[in-house]
Formats: sequence, structure tokens, C-alpha cells
Amino acid sequence: MFKFISAVKKEYLLLLRDKAGIIILFIMPMILIIIFSLLQEVTWNAIAQEPKVEMLFVNNDGDSLGINMEKGLRSSGFFDVIDSVNHAKVTAESARAAVKKGDFLIAIVVPKGVTKSMRANVRVAVAKTLSGFGMFNPNLLNNIVPKGADTVTLYFDPTIRKAFKNAVVSSIKEFNYRSETGMIFRSFNIEMSKQFPAYKPADIEYKESLQFKEVFPNYVEREEIPTTVQHNVPAWAIFAMFFIIIPLTGSMIKEREEGSLARLMSMPVSYIHLLLAKVTVYFFVCLVQSFLMIFSGIFILPLFHIPMLVIGNHIIALTLMTIATALAALGYGLLVGTIANTHQQAAAFGAVSIIILAAIGGVWVPVYLMPNVMRHVAMISPLNWGMTGFYNIFLRQGGLITIMIPALKLVAFFLGSVLITYIYRKIKSPLNI
Amino acid sequence: MAERPIIEIKNLSKRYKGSDEPALKDITLDIYPLEIFGLLGPNGAGKTTTISILCGLFAPTGGEIMIDGFNLHNELDQIKQVIGVVPQDVALYPTLTALENLVFFGNMYGLKGKYLKDLIMDRMNVFGLERFAKKKISSFSGGMKRRVNLIAGLLHDPKILFLDEPTAGIDVQSKVVILEFLQEINQKGTTIIYTSHYMEEAENLCSRVSIMDRGTIVSTGNPKELVADHPEFKNLENLYLYLTGKGLRD
Ligand SMILES: Nc1ncnc2c1ncn2[C@@H]1O[C@H](COP(=O)(O)OP(=O)(O)O)[C@@H](O)[C@H]1O
Ligand SMILES: [Mg+2]
Repeated sequence: MFKFISAVKKEYLLLLRDKAGIIILFIMPMILIIIFSLLQEVTWNAIAQEPKVEMLFVNNDGDSLGINMEKGLRSSGFFDVIDSVNHAKVTAESARAAVKKGDFLIAIVVPKGVTKSMRANVRVAVAKTLSGFGMFNPNLLNNIVPKGADTVTLYFDPTIRKAFKNAVVSSIKEFNYRSETGMIFRSFNIEMSKQFPAYKPADIEYKESLQFKEVFPNYVEREEIPTTVQHNVPAWAIFAMFFIIIPLTGSMIKEREEGSLARLMSMPVSYIHLLLAKVTVYFFVCLVQSFLMIFSGIFILPLFHIPMLVIGNHIIALTLMTIATALAALGYGLLVGTIANTHQQAAAFGAVSIIILAAIGGVWVPVYLMPNVMRHVAMISPLNWGMTGFYNIFLRQGGLITIMIPALKLVAFFLGSVLITYIYRKIKSPLNI
Repeated sequence: MAERPIIEIKNLSKRYKGSDEPALKDITLDIYPLEIFGLLGPNGAGKTTTISILCGLFAPTGGEIMIDGFNLHNELDQIKQVIGVVPQDVALYPTLTALENLVFFGNMYGLKGKYLKDLIMDRMNVFGLERFAKKKISSFSGGMKRRVNLIAGLLHDPKILFLDEPTAGIDVQSKVVILEFLQEINQKGTTIIYTSHYMEEAENLCSRVSIMDRGTIVSTGNPKELVADHPEFKNLENLYLYLTGKGLRD
């Protein structure tokens, strides 16, 4: 025990005098939190209120179909509907030219008289239907020239994504169907009241009987999308904890390379005790790191006009989650520090692997903004398990139970790393000879 | 010598992983209590490998080793209690002060408190380092580092002390201090095994020497007797050059 305490003290002194290590461990993550929160404060809000697509709209119809279509497009919230450029009304020709030039991604041209011809077609159809009841009123077709289908022209920029194009086309079609359905109802009403003067058209607008609710089971629900702070504080705290791999492996390997370990191995002290002392010191480093991260989320970020971090009231869950993450990070560091032969190897592999695991684990870009495939890939990253746990605490105000699975995964990762380290040690001497 | 050897090495061999030439081939050697025993040989002869194995840093490929009555193979813990090691290269923490280094290593030998501090300051005094106790090792000159390196290996007054080239590349003053100190602790009861490639130094200091070359021992004995056996060589150095050849080593 006495030797252990002395070894802890030595590790503490070594760390204290490792300026680069201190910067990596404490300063870098704070800077990352501030930078990323500031950056994302802007971009996330942009993502949250998706940018509108500018669309040229040429309404040569001027009647109900054209007007309804324009209203619909505007109220969808996806489009900025533009009908004049440089104070000049857009025409079919200029719209086409503008899309061709790449100034606009989409143009829609509603031809002249399209409402009129749709009405005519509807009336013919209604008349024919009524004739089936023997109620055909020949007057009905007076002055009606049935026409073929009119063409609404949509110009698309070739770079536009297919899915987006389809979405535009189908919503245009939908406006169309709605207008047509409305016309058919009205037409029936009119004809029925002509046939049966007693008939009072019910003053109802037809409403679709089938409604659609859009649910994305993979997404956290709307109110649970993290703010930049709620994301960045745990993200960089986890990242920083895993980044102890750099100073931790550095300290392990330097000790080996500088020969102190060889000296220690000739002394009556066990390697396990020495490692344990190292792990103990770095474990406290992890705790201090997360404390600092949370501290900066609460007190420093608001100085940059970024909302304050709300940590909820599950302090025990938060502590356990921090401990579990710290253990996983330590296990990973021990493993890499044991297997790597040189400081450079460990630093390069350690840094690159942590950055990759961070990227796929949703530290840089939160998982819910990732494409589906990446969401599955994310689950292999221990940093993602950490993110899940912290999200559960910060976003869903979850307590102990909600962090159990991610915490256990992290602890299992720690135990697995320690086991592999131990087996490797059994085979090779601590000096890697 | 009728008494029981304090170190018995039987048929020791070592082949490092990945090298095709064994570093040690069938070394057999007995060292007796209170000897100052010199392992001499050119670079790459296998001196460091021998010492490292005797200290339990890594396992031999073959052979039997007994140290102070304990079998190296399964009684390493007991052996570690009685040996001290001064490695060839400085093995200290550069960012810790001399005192911090020595306190830590002393603690690892089970020494503590004021006793340890006094002991350290006493030793630092012997080696002219008392003024530098609170300076970081990284600020030390090569010779100063070597002296701290030495102190770290013998704080606990080991029964057996291994030194790997303790006098290589240091100034004459330091060398004299070190050698006098070694003789002093030898007289107080420490068996010393040390490596060197300075023949004259070994000739004056050692009770016996082994001349090693390419992983084998080519000759063992009292330096004076070795030279006497080969009257054609006037001193140990000539004999050494004869035995190990004049070819340059890495
Ligand atoms: N860690 C190692 N891995 C592989 N070969 C080694 C290692 N250490 C020493 N050797 C080789 O073993 C031989 C003996 O080396 P060493 O014991 O250091 O010699 P000496 O100390 O007498 O100069 C040399 O050929 C050296 O290259
Ligand atoms: Mg050597």
C-alpha cells in the first residue's frame, strides 16, 4: 500500500510537469467545447429551420388552380416562391432560361386556361356520371369543349437530387388532385341542385379521410434534439477522457524507453501495482476533466451568448456515467500503451483511432443528424455509448435506469481491455522484449 | 574457493526474438560472496544481456540460475530483495528532481521517511550532488545523471550489486569517486558484479573477471593470474585483445 501511494505520488508529479499533457487533457477540450458550440450554434439553427428552396413560379392561369398551387407551395414552408426577378414578371421563357443558367433550381409554369379546361373536363365527367342515373341534362354540355389534359411544366436543375425532385412533383400533383376533387364536388352540387330544386348543397368542404402522421422512430423526438451545449459538453468531455490515451500511453512507454521501468522491474514491486497507480491518477484526471467540462458548460459558455448547460437532477447517474466512461478510456489506454512499441506508434494510433471513434460515435456530428447507415455504424464506438448515456441524462432527464445499458457496455469494454492487456503481459515481459 | 557461490549460472543461453544469432551461448559461471567480479568484453559481447537476465528483467532461453540460494526461475521475488541494479543507461525520471527520483526508488525498496531522506542526502554528499538535490534530472550533466543513477541502485545496501558499465564515458574524477565507493561497500559486505571494457580498471579492482565475446565466456580468472598464465602478454588489455581479436565491433 505504501509503495502504491508512493507510485501514485510519482505519477502525479510526472503528470503535473508534463505541460503538453496538461494542455491536451484540460485546455484542449475546453477550447473544443467553446469553438464547436459557437460554430454549431449558427449551423444547427439553420438545420433546425431548414433553408427554403427558391422556386420560380409562372402563373399564366390566374384562376383557382394556379392560385391554389401558389398558395400551397408558399404555405408548405419549403419554398421561397418567386414570381418576378428584377422587377420583371417571370415568363415561361425567362423561367426556363434562369433554370438553364443555374440561377434557380426549380421553375414551375402553369399554363393559361388550365383551370378553365379542368373545369370543363370535370363538368363533362359529372354530366356523364349523372346520365347513368337517367338525369342527363343536355344543357349541361352547352358551350363546353372538352379538352385533353393540360401540361404544367416543371424545370429542374440537373444537379437536383432525385428524391427532392420527386417530392416536388408529387406535391404539385397533390395540389392538382385536391383542386380537381373540389371541382368535382362543386360540379355535382351545382348539377344536383339544378335537377332537384329541393336539394340543398351541404356547405362542407371535402376533407381527406386519411391523414398521415410522420414519425421517425430513429430520431430522438423533437423536444429531445440536443441544444449545441447539451451535445457539445458531453461530446467533448467524452472525447477528452478518451484522449487521455495520449498522455497515458506516453507515460507508460516513456517509462519503458527511459529505462525506469527496467529499474523498477528489478525491484521488489509488482508491475500491476505500478500500473494501478498510473490508472488511479488518470482516473482522477478524467473526473476533473468532466467536472471542468460541465463547469464550462454552465459558467463559461454563457459568456459567449450560448445557452447554459442544464444538467438535470440525476447527479448520481451523471457520476456513474462519468466513471464508466473514464474506465473505458483507461482500459483503452492501457491496452494501446501495452501493445505499442514506441511512443510515436501509441500517439499516432491512439490519436487517429480516437478521432475516428469520435467521428463515427457522434461526437463531431450528433448521431441524429447522421444518415441511417452511419447510425448503425455509430453503435460500435464506445464514445457513442458514452454519448447515449449522457444524452439520456441531459436530454431525457433520465435517471439511473436509463444509463444502465450504456454504462454496462463501457464497463465491459474496460474489463475486456484489461483482460487482453493482462493476457498480453502474461506472454510478454513488461519491457516488451 | 570452498564456500558456496552466491551466484551460480549453468548453461545460460538467450536468443532475442527476431534475431538468428543467440546473444548468449551456454554460459556457465560461479561468483562467490564478496567478490568484485568483472564481466569484460567488447560491444555486443552479451554483458548487458547477462546482467538483465540475472536481475529478472526477462527470461533466459535456457539454463539454470541460482542467486543467494534462490532459483531465478521461480523465486524472483526473494532475489529482488537482495539485489541492486545500476543500469547501463541512465534510468531516471527526467522531470522529477534528484531527490524525488531517489525517494521514489527508495520507497520501492521499502525504505521510507526521515531515514530514507538522510540516507539520500548522505549519498548525494558522497557523490558531490548535495547542492542539486532539488534540481530536475533533465538539467543535470551526463556525469551527474550517472551518479544519481548509481545512488538509486544501492540505497538499500543490497547484498549483491550489479553495475552495467558504471564508468563508461565519465570524467576521471567521477570515475575515481565511484570506484572508491564500490570498494568501500564491497568491504562492508556487498558482492559486486560489474561490466566494463576498461581493462586496466578491471585489473586493479576485480577479484576475478570473465572475458566475454560473441555470447560466450572465453576466459575466467583472477586478472593477475590470467596475465601470468600468458606471459607473452604484459597486461590484461593485451590478453583481452588477443582473446577477442582486433576486429571492430558495432
Ligand atoms: N532487445 C534486444 N533485441 C534483440 N537483440 C538484442 C537486444 N539487446 C541486445 N541484443 C543483441 O544481443 C547481443 C548482446 O548485446 P548486449 O548484451 O547488449 O551486449 P553488451 O552489453 O556486451 O554490449 C548484441 O548482438 C545485441 O545486438
Ligand atoms: Mg551493454
